[in-house]
Amino acid sequence: MKVLEANGVTKQFREGRETVDVLRGVSLSLSRGEIVSLEGPSGSGKTTLLSILGCILTPSAGQVVVDGEVVDAARPARLPEIRKKSIGFVFQQFNLFPSLTAVENVEYALNVKGAKGAGARREAERVLDAVGLSDRVDFLPRDLSGGQKQRIAIARALAGSSPILLADEPTANLDSQIGSQVLEMFRALAKKEDRALLIVTHDPKVRTIADRVLRIHDGRIAAEGLAA
Amino acid sequence: MVDLATKSLLHDKLRFVITVSGVAFAVALVFVQVGLFLGLLDNASVTIEHIDADLWVTSRNTPNVDFAHTFPDTAVKRVRSVPGVARADNLIVWFVTVNLPSGAQEGSLVYALEDFRRWNIPWNVETGNLGDLKRGQYFFLDDSAVKRYGAFEVGEYREILGQRMKIIGRTRDARSFTTTPISFVDFERAQTLNPQSLQGKTTYVLVKLAPGADPAAVKAEIARRLPYNDVYTRKEWATRSRNYWVQSTGIGLNMYITVFLGCLVGIVVVAQTLYTSTMEHLKEFGTVKAIGGGNLEIYKILGKQASIAAVAGFLLGAFMAYAMQPAIAKIDLKLIITPGFAAVVFVGSLLMCLGAAMISFRKVASIDPAMVFRA
Repeated sequence: MKVLEANGVTKQFREGRETVDVLRGVSLSLSRGEIVSLEGPSGSGKTTLLSILGCILTPSAGQVVVDGEVVDAARPARLPEIRKKSIGFVFQQFNLFPSLTAVENVEYALNVKGAKGAGARREAERVLDAVGLSDRVDFLPRDLSGGQKQRIAIARALAGSSPILLADEPTANLDSQIGSQVLEMFRALAKKEDRALLIVTHDPKVRTIADRVLRIHDGRIAAEGLAA
Repeated sequence: MVDLATKSLLHDKLRFVITVSGVAFAVALVFVQVGLFLGLLDNASVTIEHIDADLWVTSRNTPNVDFAHTFPDTAVKRVRSVPGVARADNLIVWFVTVNLPSGAQEGSLVYALEDFRRWNIPWNVETGNLGDLKRGQYFFLDDSAVKRYGAFEVGEYREILGQRMKIIGRTRDARSFTTTPISFVDFERAQTLNPQSLQGKTTYVLVKLAPGADPAAVKAEIARRLPYNDVYTRKEWATRSRNYWVQSTGIGLNMYITVFLGCLVGIVVVAQTLYTSTMEHLKEFGTVKAIGGGNLEIYKILGKQASIAAVAGFLLGAFMAYAMQPAIAKIDLKLIITPGFAAVVFVGSLLMCLGAAMISFRKVASIDPAMVFRA
């Protein structure tokens, strides 16, 4: 079942008097339980595509359908609602709240999505347990390693029932061994919870957990294939 | 609910202390300045508030209770004949010169009545019997005179307008706006102190209404019968006396400017620290937006942080002001902080901090959630 589709998506930015085509008719789709790696050189349009698929930006042309809902540029107020309901993010810099403990970081994201009270706390503890951090729930980010921080970020993305997980260079700030462990755990959880996972990356290790690999070049999907 | 606002605010303790200190400074400044101002104004009308008179008859255009002008003391008879008047008496308030044993001269504001106890003045008698004032060259002196006259004892003599008079009692809390010590003298004795100005004269007529009498009607009738005098209710006269000092001197303007500057300092400190904090937490706010939170979510965070700073700053500032009260009392000044005044300062602090937080709102509104993808 497809939960994320992009059809002929283009994106143009104005730089001074010039118009730059960042995306040129990108089409792709993700199904539940599927893991896709999106690779490409710097400036190829990966992050712009991720922002559009994540309903942070709207396409200049083309259509994006998220969890059955067409993303409509004419209704920008709807975008945060779609993000709350359907999308979990994992960022390269983790982007944890430094003043909140591990469990509070996850619970706060649930609060923003509308979950409150003891139910939100239980869900936060559940996903932290799933990423192997049940013994670190009350630690502040500054007291955790990079791998542990990224696992909290993954737990935050998994919390709730968002069918789509979008990860931006999740291993970029981790050493090779920890990166592999985090990816393996990420893959297992996405599969177990039947979430669609799109990972934007330069890291070749991501191919080892992906079902499919997309290569983007100059704003176009240049190649698509099964992971090795 | 996870309280991101509070936790984030308290996470950077130094910044929190600076913010709260800024608010506390502004609050303490306002409390002290306005409190002292209210204390001074209280002195301007404290005798009016305590004297048990419903109406005051004054000479035309008397600006305040201390700056009295004379009119014939027979006017009191016409006042007594007005229906609704239970009793009326002459009151002299007059500035006199007192010769001290040291040879120095000081001023005193004499209050002179035929029967002080009837009008509840002085209201705090420490020693002495007011009934004895009629028996000779006697007077009561308020404790506040110690500051100007030096220590004095009952039984000692002072020379008032060249007449040797004995201190037979001392009072407390009777003050004038100008800090001139107040003394209490029998009415007829006061007229003899300065016969050229006071013989056959009075400066006020105090009026007590009969039960059930209509103050407005009695006031209008007295005004009709004494067309060259003014008649005020106690409240009107107290307000007029206070307003004179507020409007005719620079202290009102000075107070407003100080309060304005205090608020300005508070706003600048809170706005600056909240704005800096916002700038440093832009990525966090971007994350809030990326995970689905809107501007309102972040406005709530900033608003709550500003409110916490306001409450903490108010409590600290109020504590500082209260702690200063004994020291201020030692220099013979009053710092008046009423519950109503404190409530106004609290609401003002809250509005000041929320207003300061709004400066950060524009920055928050411009945050692009896509920033979370930038390394």
